[in-house]
Amino acid sequence: MIKSSRVCLKYPEGTIALKNIDLRIEPGELVYITGPSGSGKTSLLKLFMGDEYPTAGVLEVLKQPIVRGQAAGIRKLRRLIGPVFQEFRLIKGRTAMENVMLGMRFLDVPNGSMKENAGNALAKVGLAQKAFSLIEHMSWGECQRVAIARAIARKPALIIADEPTGNLDKDNAVRILELLKSFKDRETTVIVTTHATHLIRDEKDFRHIHMNNGNMEWERLG
Amino acid sequence: MKNTLYNIGYFLKEARTIILLNPLSNAFSLLSAVLIFFILAIVISGWCISNQVVAAIQEEAEINVYFKGDPGNIDAIKLTEGIKGIAGVREARLVGEDEAYGRMEKILGKESRVLEFFNENPFSPFIEVNINIEGMEHIIKELSRMEGIEHVRDNREVLERLWGISEALEILGYLILIAVGITTIVIIAHIIRMGIYDNREQINTLRLMGAPEIFIAFPYLLEGLIITLAGSVIASALVVSALKYLYTQIGPLPFIPLPPRESLTVNLIALIMSLGAVLGISGSFFGISSAKRG
Repeated sequence: MIKSSRVCLKYPEGTIALKNIDLRIEPGELVYITGPSGSGKTSLLKLFMGDEYPTAGVLEVLKQPIVRGQAAGIRKLRRLIGPVFQEFRLIKGRTAMENVMLGMRFLDVPNGSMKENAGNALAKVGLAQKAFSLIEHMSWGECQRVAIARAIARKPALIIADEPTGNLDKDNAVRILELLKSFKDRETTVIVTTHATHLIRDEKDFRHIHMNNGNMEWERLG
Repeated sequence: MKNTLYNIGYFLKEARTIILLNPLSNAFSLLSAVLIFFILAIVISGWCISNQVVAAIQEEAEINVYFKGDPGNIDAIKLTEGIKGIAGVREARLVGEDEAYGRMEKILGKESRVLEFFNENPFSPFIEVNINIEGMEHIIKELSRMEGIEHVRDNREVLERLWGISEALEILGYLILIAVGITTIVIIAHIIRMGIYDNREQINTLRLMGAPEIFIAFPYLLEGLIITLAGSVIASALVVSALKYLYTQIGPLPFIPLPPRESLTVNLIALIMSLGAVLGISGSFFGISSAKRG
């Protein structure tokens, strides 16, 4: 699923975001990546999505090498990923349903199936009754769930969630993590970055990677 | 293609949203498009009318040959036949004094009363020679060699002046066409860039989700197309009204054969609409590509 060997990322202004990351994530895994702010969690996810390119080392996600000059391949890769962005990146002025459907519009899904998938995804995140509410009329937690619905409606091979528990109270954060966990199956890998280490302490059947200062500090299986 | 069909409703809705995001700028762009297309249509109308006039005059290009003294009927007919043999002469016909008088009466209409002041018919017989305008020089040279001709009246000066006006209008038309093209493309490209800038976060999100560039660009292409097509429609309506007014005011002119209003209007509308579509799409492409570079 994801293979990285001695991957480094240095931003143009000189910031070293990642140092020699060696990682292998298999299909169907649930991976939590934790660490303080600036430890490189988001940078690592950006690499997985082909939003940044390694400045050294080799990275392959879903058999697609993450290298410059492969725009078409990276675009195809992104269609296999269900991203949940840190700030949701939902489109204002559109309903929850429209936002979820937007993620599928370029996947050759007929309109009828698109609506059905979006409705099912919103039902899975418990927002069926708010499907036609505008995004700006929804709470932070609801927006987070719409973002998750948008990701899962695409039936992705890999779900990547960047700080989905940020700005949420404990109950909502637990609910969101439970929700994300529920999408993990034999074919779908779920990678979640979070500050909330305490929330995953009692988890089972997962991998926990802790990052600090651009390094993978430690890794453990739960 | 399949995607485009599935998403046509979405693209139209997006284009509408993008337009409503900058209502004032888009309204001004629309207004500019209307004015530009209207000015273009008026210049092209002038161009068509002048071309029509020149073509009509060319078809009617004729010179009049006047006799030295009073030729006998037989000599006049002989001379007419001789003129018919000159290369470039389409037709040569003897016009008698009475026919010349009758023609002038017809031309002057109500004003023909002035002819009553003459005691005698003031017109002389002449030979009316219908010619190919390109052969005028040669025909006049040949006529100067013929016996019994006092002078030849050609309308070369008028024709040359009309040619000049027609050429100037043609050049002006081309210049305005180029100006219209550049201005419309610049306006549309600018408005598209603004739309892209305002929606940069949404565009980036779509890219991160793997949306193809054409999917992202399509609503912006539609935006440019909608503005220029709406501009073309309004300009066409203005042109229809303007031509109707002009034709009513001018009325049928005896010397200037105006092109039929209906066909002129239909051709102008077709031209404005197709130009609007082409310029809208081109402007959008420029806007999208410059936004991508920037």
